[in-house]
Amino acid sequence: MLSYIVKRFGMGVLTIWFIATATFVAMHLVPGNPLAQEKAVNPVIRANLEKQYGLDKPVTTQYIIYITNMLHGDFGISYTQENRFVKDIISEHFPVSAELGLLSLFFATLGGVLFGAITALSRNRWPDHLIMVFVILGVSVPNFVFAALGQLLILKLNGWTGTTILPIAGWDGFGSMLMPSLVLGLSTMAYLTRLMRATMLEVAGTDYIRTARAKGLSTTRIFLSHQLRNAIMPVITVLGPAIAIITTGGFVVESVFTIPGLGRYFVQAVQQLDYTVIMGTTVFFGAFLVLMVIVADILYGFVDPRIRVEAGR
Amino acid sequence: MSSEVVLAVDNLAVEFATWGGSVQAVRDVSFKLHKGTTLAIVGESGCGKSVTVQSLLGLIPMPPGRITAGSARLRGEELLGLGAKALNRYRGKRIGMIFQDAMSALNPTMTIGDQIAETLIVHTGMSAAAARQEVITLLGQVQIPEPERRMRQYPFEFSGGMLQRAMIALSIACQPEVLIADEPTTALDVTIQAQILQLLESLQKSHGLSIILITHDLGVVARMAQEVAVMYAGQIVEQGSVDDIFYRSAHPYTLGLKAAMPGKAAHKAQLQVIPGSPPDLFAPPAGCGFHARCPHVMQLCESNAPPLFGTTHQARCWLHHAAAPVHPLRQQLIASSGS
Repeated sequence: MLSYIVKRFGMGVLTIWFIATATFVAMHLVPGNPLAQEKAVNPVIRANLEKQYGLDKPVTTQYIIYITNMLHGDFGISYTQENRFVKDIISEHFPVSAELGLLSLFFATLGGVLFGAITALSRNRWPDHLIMVFVILGVSVPNFVFAALGQLLILKLNGWTGTTILPIAGWDGFGSMLMPSLVLGLSTMAYLTRLMRATMLEVAGTDYIRTARAKGLSTTRIFLSHQLRNAIMPVITVLGPAIAIITTGGFVVESVFTIPGLGRYFVQAVQQLDYTVIMGTTVFFGAFLVLMVIVADILYGFVDPRIRVEAGR
Repeated sequence: MSSEVVLAVDNLAVEFATWGGSVQAVRDVSFKLHKGTTLAIVGESGCGKSVTVQSLLGLIPMPPGRITAGSARLRGEELLGLGAKALNRYRGKRIGMIFQDAMSALNPTMTIGDQIAETLIVHTGMSAAAARQEVITLLGQVQIPEPERRMRQYPFEFSGGMLQRAMIALSIACQPEVLIADEPTTALDVTIQAQILQLLESLQKSHGLSIILITHDLGVVARMAQEVAVMYAGQIVEQGSVDDIFYRSAHPYTLGLKAAMPGKAAHKAQLQVIPGSPPDLFAPPAGCGFHARCPHVMQLCESNAPPLFGTTHQARCWLHHAAAPVHPLRQQLIASSGS
């Protein structure tokens, strides 16, 4: 198991290096630069600025500086916001995004496994049909629509009861996190429900479930000790990538609910070609995604004995 | 042979509803299983062998499967038509079951020991610790070396033969009266096959098991069975003692099966086959299911279904009718009932 984990981490570091390099190259291929403005800038000032930010050096030198600094955890200073270290932007705003993302992932997984199991167990009966209608809605309706609907719901709820049950926006306490994380997790929940339903049905038709029935086990016991564990494995596999979708896809939900997360900076930086912020946040999100995929893989190893032993060899 | 009947199946009929109509997989099947003996059900793929035994314990998927007629009594207690809860008192406890491919028939993410212990805990109310001890004994009984270590392993860490042994240990854990072995050796190579059959024989003696053995291997039948039922197109076309079937075959299909068996001396000769293929069970022929492939077919066979002729040795063939032309096959039933 240990060598498996070490190997996965080694691959992870390589992946992050690749992400960092690809981001660097892509940014320098995009026309324009962070100092480009509509007004003509005095060439002397421009040269000074370029010198200050190191943009006068050859691209290869810039790349080496960029990678070395990154290894020290230094992502540089923002080009567009005065005196703000990228490091600080990340450490200030990422915890908020992470909280939002993890909470919505929790809702998505819980709902996905639960609803998936319900639909599979009641296949072709009304609970199945009802849930699958919501699943199709969840997959196809973009989350800014759900975000607006969610706010409307809170508004009506508060109106009827006359008190503030849930705040409409902001990021203060669990109550304010509830609706945005539900909205953000909705499409992933829908996807997981479909996946769980499919694998549950697949497992239900296997020979070992027939054996379990031939042993005289009750339906509940077969479900809990044979079906669930085998059906949940593909769900664990997609959890890692799902985190990425949720944390980066949080931008819209963050702005609708005015949540001070990292998503806003991520998008703004791209629009303004703020090299350091783009690179910093991209590499950071990339590293986070890689880490989550590794965590999912390790979890998978615990659930599936075949992988555990394979890795131990 | 003891005449105590453990399991009696009468006029069993099973259908599967499909988009193309209903498939009549099992039609009017009756047999008796005597205590301490082995009944072999033989026939080619798709003739309804597995469906017959699996429907007894409600293991066929229902729907689309449906038992349309018949009864199956374990020591007089009716099994067909029972709900899942009532059936669970028989499944695994009084009727054990072994499946063909042990690798896919065991849960890949659960240890062998836990899978065997589970059935003990459910049926006997044993504690987990007591069940573990019992699993060690059981694995020893089926000759798995180092049972304490092996019980903590997963199916993928076992070889095919070892898995089938574990499967047997699982099926006899609760000391069932009847053991249904659905092609237990088909997925194994010949030397392992012999070991598994030997194990089944010795367990039959020590536990007084009555076994229903499903196979398409006549060699296995000759070795294991006292009684044989030959199935074709969802029906039993001939049944009797193993000697009746092998030495006094009374149905053209049984003759065909025997001829198709590779002999010891004939390894240079081409294998004999029965020409044609089994009938479409969406619309079973009005007459005998075998008439299109039968070398002895008569005009009558096409539209009139033959009943079972004979008493202890029975065959479903018009040649045994008193008015049929005299045929060598006809002597076989007479010879059997005379003996």
